[in-house]
Amino acid sequence: MHRLLDVLASGVHDAKNQLFYAEAQIAAAEAAHGLDLAEARYAIEAAAGRLSRTLAAYRLLRDEARLAVVPAVVADLCEEVALDQRKHLARAGLTLDVACTVRDEWALDRDLVADILNNAIQNASRHARSRIRLSAGEADGSLCLRVEDDGCGFADTDPAAHGIGLLVAARIAELHRRQERHGSLRLCNGGEFGGAVLELRLP
Amino acid sequence: MAPPAIDFRKKRFLVVDDQPLARESLRAIAQTAGAFSVDLATGYQDAIFRIRNNVPDIILCDYMLGDGRSGQQLLEELRRFDLLPDDTIFMMVTGEQSYEQVVAAVELVPDDYIIKPFSPDKLILRLERVAAKKEFFAPFFRAKRRGDYPQALALLAANRDSEGGHTYRFELLRQEAELHIATGNAPQAEATYRGILDRYEFPWARAGVARALQRQNRLSEARSEIEKAIAGAAHYFDAADLKANICMAQGEHDEAQRVLEAIARRTPRNYLRKRLLAQAAELNGDAEAARAAMADVIANDTMPGAVSTEDQLALARTQVAAGDAIAAEKVLLLLRESEIMALPLPSQASFAALLAIASPEKGRSRFAGLRPALLAVELPPSVRLDVLQAALAGGDGELAEKQAQALLAGDDSRLVFNRMRQLFSLYDGDPLFREIQRRVALQRIGRGETDAGAAGVGEATAAP
Repeated sequence: MHRLLDVLASGVHDAKNQLFYAEAQIAAAEAAHGLDLAEARYAIEAAAGRLSRTLAAYRLLRDEARLAVVPAVVADLCEEVALDQRKHLARAGLTLDVACTVRDEWALDRDLVADILNNAIQNASRHARSRIRLSAGEADGSLCLRVEDDGCGFADTDPAAHGIGLLVAARIAELHRRQERHGSLRLCNGGEFGGAVLELRLP
Repeated sequence: MAPPAIDFRKKRFLVVDDQPLARESLRAIAQTAGAFSVDLATGYQDAIFRIRNNVPDIILCDYMLGDGRSGQQLLEELRRFDLLPDDTIFMMVTGEQSYEQVVAAVELVPDDYIIKPFSPDKLILRLERVAAKKEFFAPFFRAKRRGDYPQALALLAANRDSEGGHTYRFELLRQEAELHIATGNAPQAEATYRGILDRYEFPWARAGVARALQRQNRLSEARSEIEKAIAGAAHYFDAADLKANICMAQGEHDEAQRVLEAIARRTPRNYLRKRLLAQAAELNGDAEAARAAMADVIANDTMPGAVSTEDQLALARTQVAAGDAIAAEKVLLLLRESEIMALPLPSQASFAALLAIASPEKGRSRFAGLRPALLAVELPPSVRLDVLQAALAGGDGELAEKQAQALLAGDDSRLVFNRMRQLFSLYDGDPLFREIQRRVALQRIGRGETDAGAAGVGEATAAP
């Protein structure tokens, strides 16, 4: 079965290279002709993100997933996610606030965690009225990342009720381990804006 | 977005990718990000050539370079030959999930890595982060390059409580631990790596503990730590090198050879590893494998200056071990007298010993000339083995005994024990060897050493 995973991974890899080629062409055209094709680039990156997530889900379901944990500066991570999302949200009339109070580098899988946050913000954008907030803080020795919106909240706060994306996110959170503790994903309602809250805790 | 803090128009970029489309994409992204000068390299060799001639400010290197090469290998090679100035940015570009696994495990990492596809804005953001980090560490790197280690350590300590000290807390600890290793303070390095592990089980930090223990000659602990690091990271090839070194010091040459062969199959063009494999195979008595590995190094390690006179000596050594005196003589006689005279005394001793074994006629007088020195000075274990063999081959019992005693009594006795026994056996010296072992063991007991050290010493005292 190892073969199948290799075939899938190599297919995803090639597809992402093609997408990168497309994005580079678009970026060059934007620069050359003074265009703004940010939405086209956003769609390309979203497609690439979806491919990666599908592969990650496959690995997780087969229990073959391994994190790539590196020291990451939390404020930088938040800023990057904001960079990926802010323009797109603005087109939908939504603002994204970022609040990070964590000074320290944190050991986490930077790319998978960024993907979870990107995905959470995309989800939030479908329900938010006008605002979304991404915040990072420390609680009980854990890193606490939250995505909140001012929509009407989750009808069901069980991550399993929300399809594969959140299941994968919950599993990735859980794979983050330090000494005896492991990470978690929690959905609730309320928060700063009174809407849906997704909270990712990493030890 | 705020205007970039770096003026990319003034920076020289180098894009390294074997795929033309991907290369063009990277160039387009760099240019959109503001780059004016973007040089292109089509692969590993081309990149080395360009970097040697004109060091770029920013390298964007794809992880997959084709031809059995990876961006990680390029990075390792650039560091090995010190071709990257401290302020050059090396950014790995990858579409590969597997590279993230590599970067999470290994000690030698690029400044950052970025996953395709990405926008010019994201590239700018990442490069600015790297530049800020480099600026933060610049005084430290300058002190380290000067060899002013106390100052470098003091800078790390002073930074720990600063704002940046929080932002880069793992990097500060990693640099501190590496500095302790470099300055020979293994206990402090161990403590620092363990401090990192208290926060997270990074494979590179676990391997660091193993290395620090190895330096303290606490080999079985080192072995168990390195096994843990390897279990946590399948892509961590350097950990296998360290494991092999520990195995050799423990006298387990077959395991060392097995580990290195398995990894070398996956990294066929890592010639530092091939050198290590040759050493392990030779100590393991597998002369043919040793010879094949060294021949591969000398034929294919194409970096200018990579193949040294020491490598030629190592090749000759494997040929002598394989019983091919003619080939060994040929390699040795190709060395110029000026090259030999430029070698440090131990290497000259190896040269003289190997030539004396391969061609007694041509080598005897040089070896005889060194004899007084060889009786008197300290020599590394590999050199003592060469001298021992030449002495046995030439019937010089006194010189042979002197080398064998020093080897058995030294810290590396497990490393060389098997090879020593083979050599005595080869020259019908088994009784002499047993006698020397007995004497060394008695000396140790006389000094009140309860741990007789070499596995072989215990064996010998029990022998009839």
